[in-house]
Amino acid sequence: MDAGTAFQRYLDAGLESFGIEADETERMVMAGVWSLWEPGITQLRDADLDAVEHEVNADLSSPPPG
Amino acid sequence: MSALDLPLREQAAGIASGEIDPGQLLDDCLARIDQRNPDLNAVVATFPEESRRMLDEAPDGPLRGVPVLIKDEWPLPWRAETVGAAAVPGVTTQPGESGPYRALRDAGAVIAGVANMHELGSSSTGNTSVYGAAHNPWDLERCPGGSSSGPAASVAGGLVSGAIGADGLGSIRYPSAYCGLTGLKPTFGRSAMGGHHIANTETIVSGPLCRDAADCRLLASATFGEELPAAEPTGLRIGVVRDPYWADSAPGVREACESALESLRDAVEGEIKELSIPDQDLILPAAVLVAQAEEAGHLTPENLNALPEELSVINRGVLKLRGLIPGSLTARSFLARAQARRNLAALFSEVDLIAWPTVPAVAPPLTDPTIELPSGPTSADAGNARQGVLANLTGVPGANLPVGLDDGLPVGLQLLAAWGSDALLLDAAEALERATDREFVELRPAAVA
Repeated sequence: MDAGTAFQRYLDAGLESFGIEADETERMVMAGVWSLWEPGITQLRDADLDAVEHEVNADLSSPPPG
Repeated sequence: MSALDLPLREQAAGIASGEIDPGQLLDDCLARIDQRNPDLNAVVATFPEESRRMLDEAPDGPLRGVPVLIKDEWPLPWRAETVGAAAVPGVTTQPGESGPYRALRDAGAVIAGVANMHELGSSSTGNTSVYGAAHNPWDLERCPGGSSSGPAASVAGGLVSGAIGADGLGSIRYPSAYCGLTGLKPTFGRSAMGGHHIANTETIVSGPLCRDAADCRLLASATFGEELPAAEPTGLRIGVVRDPYWADSAPGVREACESALESLRDAVEGEIKELSIPDQDLILPAAVLVAQAEEAGHLTPENLNALPEELSVINRGVLKLRGLIPGSLTARSFLARAQARRNLAALFSEVDLIAWPTVPAVAPPLTDPTIELPSGPTSADAGNARQGVLANLTGVPGANLPVGLDDGLPVGLQLLAAWGSDALLLDAAEALERATDREFVELRPAAVA
């Protein structure tokens, strides 16, 4: 299954499951935006982050501890 | 020349010495808005009575009597923010005393009006707003940048000498670059933010857009609640990450930024160090997902189904798509953020500043915001976000410095510094201004020259 078809199935099922209404134009926007986001999101999904320690109560005004 | 065309600091000094009548200055400002705003659409509300009341009650602060504008992202006591949109999903905005309002009031500034912004702050272009798009004073058919489109267009268009914007994923730096201004995205949490409709934000900050660094310092000192001291930096180590930030920028942008970088290095007797950022590819998706998570609590099916037709179809689609993003991806974005912060902290042990073009190409047309890069054509949002989001993901400060023109449109160099080093960014900007005889900060669009 190509990525476009897979996304369309995910989109259709997600909208139906959550009860979110979307017209055809909105669905076209979602598909277009997803095509931009997908490469990065795939990299994030597949990245090896198992060894990364969570930053608990991160203080974004300062560098991370240590 | 009208006093309105002076820098903020000279307006403030003139008022303090009695040489400038602040009542006349406010009248001139409102008249200038009436005159130029039909072309710029940078200002979406004025309220002369409230502005005059602010002037009458202004304390003897560093900005006493100086007119400024504030982005449509914060409430004022007499006006609820609209965030450039017909509706904010799940949020009913109300009038009130926001943090930036209080900071400006306490510094003696006079809020002359509310500045336009990209609808819901969702784009770097500024080409969509419930009020209609703001226009770039350098070319009225071009994007002013977003989401702080109105603050940028109003300062570049000479309506005021300084405005307060907000930067959640680059939204001060992009419009500053498109409009030829100096803009500061402060360290997270350092500038006044109270009353923002995303109270739990870890990415958005308020910050100044002005014509030069000294005015940014003055305005930022007000919103920080502390003076940002000026210094002459020497021996700065400037990090440069070539790929993709420089390599995939338009040739004219790259050349102007390279020239400015060399001028800055010489001015501060510094050195340029080539760097690479580990796990660079994760920065953009992580930043987008962290930022969207901040608003996700309101993205219920009920709220999404109630989005009005007056909201752009782009935002209706994006908001509904956001409602379907798996939590596991959001959790991974916070892990990627932790890693990015550690990586950046390590880099800032090697360098004082990191530099690359703020936007990879100059302002695109309002009707077709695509840009041509060495890697091929892409949306301006995609290219801009790649250059801008690291500062928001990690919390560090960043600034746009105007560094020239490409095909008659402004080019901006971005500098990043370590957490809390906001003043260093402005010191470096002033060093570049001195080294270039203020050539770039004195450039004005033909329409207002």
